[in-house]
Amino acid sequence: MVKKIIKALRWLKCPSLCSGLLAVVHYFSAFFNAFSGSNFQRKFEENIFKALMIISAFTVTGILIFILAVIFLKGFPAINLDMLIKTPKGGYYLGKEGGILNAILGSIVLGFGATFLAVMVTVPVVFYLNLYLKKNSRLALSVRFFLDVLWGIPSIVYGAFGFTVMIFFGLKASLLAGIITVALLIIPIMARSMDEVLKMIPFELKEASFAIGATRLETAMKVVFKQALPGLMTAVLIAFGRGIGDAAAVLFTASFTDSLPYSLFKPVATLPLAIFFQLGTPFPEVQERGYASALVLTVIILFISILSRILSKKFTRNIIK
Amino acid sequence: MEFKTHISVKSLNVWYGQHQALNNISIDIPDKKITAIIGPSGCGKTTLLKSFNRLIDLQDGISVNGQVLVDGEDIYSPKVEVMDLRKKMGLLSQKPQVLPMSIYENVAYGPRIHGLKDKKKLNEIVHRYLKESSLWNEVKDRLNSPASKLSIGQQQRLCLARGLAVEPEIILGDEPTSALDPVSSERIEQKFLALKDKYTIILVTHSLRQAKRLADYVIFLYLGNIIEHGFAQEIFENPKYVKTQAYINGKFIEEHKINRELNLKGTICPDNFVKAKLALEELDSGQVLKIIVDYEPAISEVPKAMEYEGHKILEVKRLNKTDWEIIIQKYDEGYII
Amino acid sequence: MNTRKFKDIFARRLMFNLCLFVLGLAFLMAFGLYQRSRPILAITSLKNLLFSNAWHPSQGQFGLASFISGTLWVTAIAMVIAVPFSILTAIYISEYAPKRVREFAKPIIDLLAGISPVVYGVWGIIAIVPLVRDYLMPYLSEKLPFFPFASDNYTGFTALTGGIVLAVMVFPVIISVVEEVLRTVPVETREASLALGATKWQTIKYAVLKKAKPGIIAAIILGLSRAFGETMAVLMVAGCSLHGFTKSIFDTAYPLPALIANTYGEMMSIPLYDAAVLLAAFILLLITTLFNMFGWGILLRIERSEG
Repeated sequence: MVKKIIKALRWLKCPSLCSGLLAVVHYFSAFFNAFSGSNFQRKFEENIFKALMIISAFTVTGILIFILAVIFLKGFPAINLDMLIKTPKGGYYLGKEGGILNAILGSIVLGFGATFLAVMVTVPVVFYLNLYLKKNSRLALSVRFFLDVLWGIPSIVYGAFGFTVMIFFGLKASLLAGIITVALLIIPIMARSMDEVLKMIPFELKEASFAIGATRLETAMKVVFKQALPGLMTAVLIAFGRGIGDAAAVLFTASFTDSLPYSLFKPVATLPLAIFFQLGTPFPEVQERGYASALVLTVIILFISILSRILSKKFTRNIIK
Repeated sequence: MEFKTHISVKSLNVWYGQHQALNNISIDIPDKKITAIIGPSGCGKTTLLKSFNRLIDLQDGISVNGQVLVDGEDIYSPKVEVMDLRKKMGLLSQKPQVLPMSIYENVAYGPRIHGLKDKKKLNEIVHRYLKESSLWNEVKDRLNSPASKLSIGQQQRLCLARGLAVEPEIILGDEPTSALDPVSSERIEQKFLALKDKYTIILVTHSLRQAKRLADYVIFLYLGNIIEHGFAQEIFENPKYVKTQAYINGKFIEEHKINRELNLKGTICPDNFVKAKLALEELDSGQVLKIIVDYEPAISEVPKAMEYEGHKILEVKRLNKTDWEIIIQKYDEGYII
Repeated sequence: MNTRKFKDIFARRLMFNLCLFVLGLAFLMAFGLYQRSRPILAITSLKNLLFSNAWHPSQGQFGLASFISGTLWVTAIAMVIAVPFSILTAIYISEYAPKRVREFAKPIIDLLAGISPVVYGVWGIIAIVPLVRDYLMPYLSEKLPFFPFASDNYTGFTALTGGIVLAVMVFPVIISVVEEVLRTVPVETREASLALGATKWQTIKYAVLKKAKPGIIAAIILGLSRAFGETMAVLMVAGCSLHGFTKSIFDTAYPLPALIANTYGEMMSIPLYDAAVLLAAFILLLITTLFNMFGWGILLRIERSEG
């Protein structure tokens, strides 16, 4: 390594600087060679990296706490009951009366709809992959591969695609369009978690069921499903959480409205967009409400997270890992 | 017969959680001889071996009580530098573990991490120890190709070369030939016999024949206890204890200490497996479950499934016309039995 | 034919078709977006669209170059921050951390991944914008008045702000993949190294990481893809303004996804605007898909060789 440094220095073409630097480099390398490989040096290096690692881990953890703290601290003061139970009256975005009930209910309805649709598609596909196909069949590999590809596509692209489909059919922005788009968005997310769950079911369990003459469908529904239930529910909840948190996919497709969701074919309000619009106004009171809305959304997501953990723990007690 | 002691174990007790793997072991390992540790599966042989180079420190939930003196110094005392200790010992695992590098790099790894940088010296070391493991001629033209491309017999010899390269005093072998074909096995065995003059060698082995071929000194371990130990000739020709006698003659009736018994008569698969697995969850790693079944497919299904999950099947025995008994030992990830 | 078998076959057919649907979805998306962007491709060359700086929709000029540069800046900053932190954290969690810490860390990482991007944007506005505006910008820009620090944007809504928020969003992606990859390295490899007297760190540095290298690269690629496509959070904090090229970390940045999101209102009113924007979406789709295929391809190969 010293030789490499010497070579690099030659390029600088500056003799006095070179010899000076060379001397420094030699001194340091001699210093390190004395300890080279000794337990002292090895442990020293390890301790440095250990320190760096702990700092990183703390930073990452700390940032999460920081984010939650900021949202709570800024959002809490601005929350009042009105916000949660009223819809925006005229001029809400200019600072007047109202609340974000439209967005809360809209997000929940959209979320449920999209999750329901996604489950209808994902569960059959994942069960098919794990119970009907061989592990290395080309179809299984392709489907999994494309699910991974779909997972990585940004939500704005889903939104743009949803938009093109809407134009193609001559539809307007609506709850239905939003539900379909978000469903497409969360299918890969749900599929990935569910696939992991089903992959962990021991092969012998399925084999044993076939051994007594059950059809694959019966095996799927009676044996595997029960085993996998907690994991599947967690997957559904996680997907739901991602679905309601996303703004880019609904921007074009569900648009926005001040009214409560009452029709599949009319636009619907969603929390992420409500937050976005409230923050976009120049009025501080409205921005404050934006923080409060962010708090509401975060609380919902936290709640879902905790719920999924509790449910999976509760069910795993009676189920084989 | 008197011998010079290299390792002296005094009252060694090792627990994995609640399960006691080694029970008050006191034994002296002779210097520059081959010592074989024999006994049925799951009785603590590997634990004993790995307690010599403190590799058992890596397990979660382990507690060690007692002393292991190497050259007079207790290796479990807090001021001992584990890295130096391990340098004194070379380990050959059951399944050859080559490092993800070239053949040259594998052998040079040991000296390198202890600080040797001189290229000439490294070349010399690689050459010397590959020759000592009889691998040199087969690989001298491809020292820089990945070690993973070697055959399994060659890989094990590479691991031997790698272990010797740090110039240890003691070689530990954990069933080093059980994964190899007979020809490679024989080569490694010949190696051990040749290395005996310079190194103290301790081998864990399943094969009585191998022990008879190689061992100077024998330790018979059963359920974490030393039943008998002594020079090979005495043990094989004149064992003092009934159990030893039975084991050597192949008529060993293992009485496993059963921690939990489950009667699954009347249940069918997959319920058998499900219930057995549930019962196993409540045990600690190393503990033993016995299930009684009367459903025929279970006899092959349950052991298959259990082994797939990593547990050990100690016995499958027919009790009577309809009933069978399956004895399963729990084996959690990372647990060394 | 008995009903049991019939149900089985029917279900099988249904599932198979749904699988085909999934397979086709990605292609459908690409096709749909491409179709909608054809009008503008018919008029202006792709080269012009990608490399021209001129973005004047009402005059029919749709040069995407400055948006692409905005995307590159924000993504680069995010990766420079995220990669070291994530890899170090992942190594710590999987190799050094005691069991309790490990169990504590997993939910935290999952939570980071689950927080809505808009909430990240809110956090960015509240916490990071002032940080950049009041501390980082004054100190750094004055001490280092040259590329890439010099700028005249004092609002705090900068590429750096976008990069920082984006980095936090990328952490969970890289950490979870690296962790998984490290887990595939067999215990015996570590044992073999330690048995020779190596320190834990030496074992990780020379044996474990070497084996994990392709997986780590895959993790970075996937993180990159995530960073590329993130819309809302970056839009809210990077200060999307049509200034032209981003030349400094303290300049505003207007990444491509933000462009697509911002124009949703005006898209249909100006001719060809929608085609240009959908073209941008198509480009985004292509790039992220390419990255993803690369990253997943590597991971798949690792999984295969481990058996």
